[in-house]
Amino acid sequence: MAKSITGEVLQGPVTKEGSEVKPVDTGETLEVPDFEKIERSEGFKNLMRKKKLFLIPATALFLGLYLAFNIVISYTNWLDTPIAGDIPWVWVFAFGLFAMTWILVTVYMKRAARFDKMAEETLREFGYEEKGDI
Amino acid sequence: MNATVIIIFLVIVAMTLVITYFAAKRTNSASDFYTAGGGLTGWQNGMAIAGDYLSAASFLGIAGAIALFGFDGFLFSIGYLVAYLVVLFVVAEPLRNLGKYTLADMINARFNAKKVRGAAALSSITIVIFYMIAQLVGAGALIQLLFGIDYIWAVLLVGIMMTIYVLFGGMTATSWVQIIKAVLLMLGTVILSFLVLKNFNFNIMEMFTQMKTATPHGEAYLKPGVKYEIPLDTISLMLALVLGTAGLPHILMRFFTVRDAKTARSSVMWATWIVGIFYVMTIFLGFGAAAFVGADLITSTNPAGNMAAPLLAQALGGDVLMSFISAVAFATILAVVAGLVLTGASAFAHDIYGQIIKKGKATERQQMLAARYASVGVSVFSILLAIFAQSLNVAFLVSLAFCIAASANLPVIVYTIFWKKFNTAGAVSAILTGLISALVLVSVSPSVLSPEVGAAIFTGTPLFPLTNPAIISIPLGFIGGFVGTLVSREIDAKKFAEVKVRANTGGFKQL
Repeated sequence: MAKSITGEVLQGPVTKEGSEVKPVDTGETLEVPDFEKIERSEGFKNLMRKKKLFLIPATALFLGLYLAFNIVISYTNWLDTPIAGDIPWVWVFAFGLFAMTWILVTVYMKRAARFDKMAEETLREFGYEEKGDI
Repeated sequence: MNATVIIIFLVIVAMTLVITYFAAKRTNSASDFYTAGGGLTGWQNGMAIAGDYLSAASFLGIAGAIALFGFDGFLFSIGYLVAYLVVLFVVAEPLRNLGKYTLADMINARFNAKKVRGAAALSSITIVIFYMIAQLVGAGALIQLLFGIDYIWAVLLVGIMMTIYVLFGGMTATSWVQIIKAVLLMLGTVILSFLVLKNFNFNIMEMFTQMKTATPHGEAYLKPGVKYEIPLDTISLMLALVLGTAGLPHILMRFFTVRDAKTARSSVMWATWIVGIFYVMTIFLGFGAAAFVGADLITSTNPAGNMAAPLLAQALGGDVLMSFISAVAFATILAVVAGLVLTGASAFAHDIYGQIIKKGKATERQQMLAARYASVGVSVFSILLAIFAQSLNVAFLVSLAFCIAASANLPVIVYTIFWKKFNTAGAVSAILTGLISALVLVSVSPSVLSPEVGAAIFTGTPLFPLTNPAIISIPLGFIGGFVGTLVSREIDAKKFAEVKVRANTGGFKQL
């Protein structure tokens, strides 16, 4: 069991939560990799670019819509008019925020699968690979 | 109380004890205790997150609030759900990739400083205590009503059960109690929703038309503004809800029970579906209670409306359904408080004892002992507080916990992951500024000080106009981190490169 404390003890390969993480080409002792070199690598920079390209607009979108909704219902009566029968618009927008959450989660799951692949490639490029399953 | 409720109640208690027995056999290390060995699957953890998150305040509180206040009662649910996007986009994956047992672990993956860990542990403990008192006070009042026993005995009953789960079964027992609770809660809510919809002839249009005249509020019932009349206060509160979830330590801790970021992500996906569908169904519960039980009976049973769902069950399904719903409410409370005890214990035993006092050199046995002592300590302390806090407003305590989480924890998490120049001084000042400003502003707010005798905890003139200070204290947390960073000027670009690579790739976990 890993007794090392994240970020505090540097030591050889350890088994953590059943999955073995091993440097591929170094032997017993694990060297601290040059993280700045990884950070500057094309693969990693590309991953960060792609992540930002999705996460920043998506976060702005959902926080913006959420705040706009709250401001509109707090300060105006715009959404009080019925859309159909006796259902006011406010319920449609409220459910819209629910739908937005589910849609963004689903879209992100798809995107993140691609990010995972890019991250794996970067790790492999620098000689690290996650091995084994539970 | 009738025999049915006692039988259903005993079945649930027996089931959770059996789980605890088997979980105890598998709890042999600190990692087992805090994270169930990190072996939960995405759907298991997703259900457990839902079980941890949907407290009695959600189930009984929101159903009651919708019954009494219509749309305004539903408003909170939107914040509670959208909040999971913040969890998913910002927090879940870096947390899993960098941390081990606690939020402080993750922040310390970058700073490795005792004062940062101490500050993070302090804010976690504060949030857990407020949240816990809210749950226990609510639980006490509820069980008193449901089973007709005294408040003190009700709190003790819940307190003893939660201690047993955590002490013996650790995270494994807690997770499975939460999973079972989520299943029972969804089952109970689906049955009630079905019965309500049946009474409205499965016609949503007809339901809204009937609701227009079914309550004392008339048409206003279906529109915003019945309960929340001060716009800025509403916006502040909604801000606390959407940003607070990503800083709630007991929710964050759940992400350490899965093996990697990918599973953490899929557990959020499961949680958003379960939590979202649940909140949609609370509309049917609330409308049903307003239409078929009536506001008079709901408020005369409990002024806050907490009994709306059990009363609805009684009206539509008789004693058996009411007993089942009451037992589900009981299971709901247990699952949430067990998660809170475990989180509080991890901050004391892992962060303060293991890492700060023992400098990370505690043996496995010492860690386990500390974890168990801390669990008992946290339980006893919160039971005592809850017994004396009976008159406190539960909704106020919950919203305060969200506000502190958003003000003290979220800024430091965001800066740690994204800001290159962020440093130790900035981390400490972000946490403390957010924590202290939230606490100070609340203590001079209308929730604590009211000119009307008995309306709040103390009599006096509030110095701060909003009941929830999130709109001020969250920016203060961010500003605190920013100023603290600039003042000390220390910078470690190398460490940030490491954190950035590890947070985004999931590699090099053993460092």
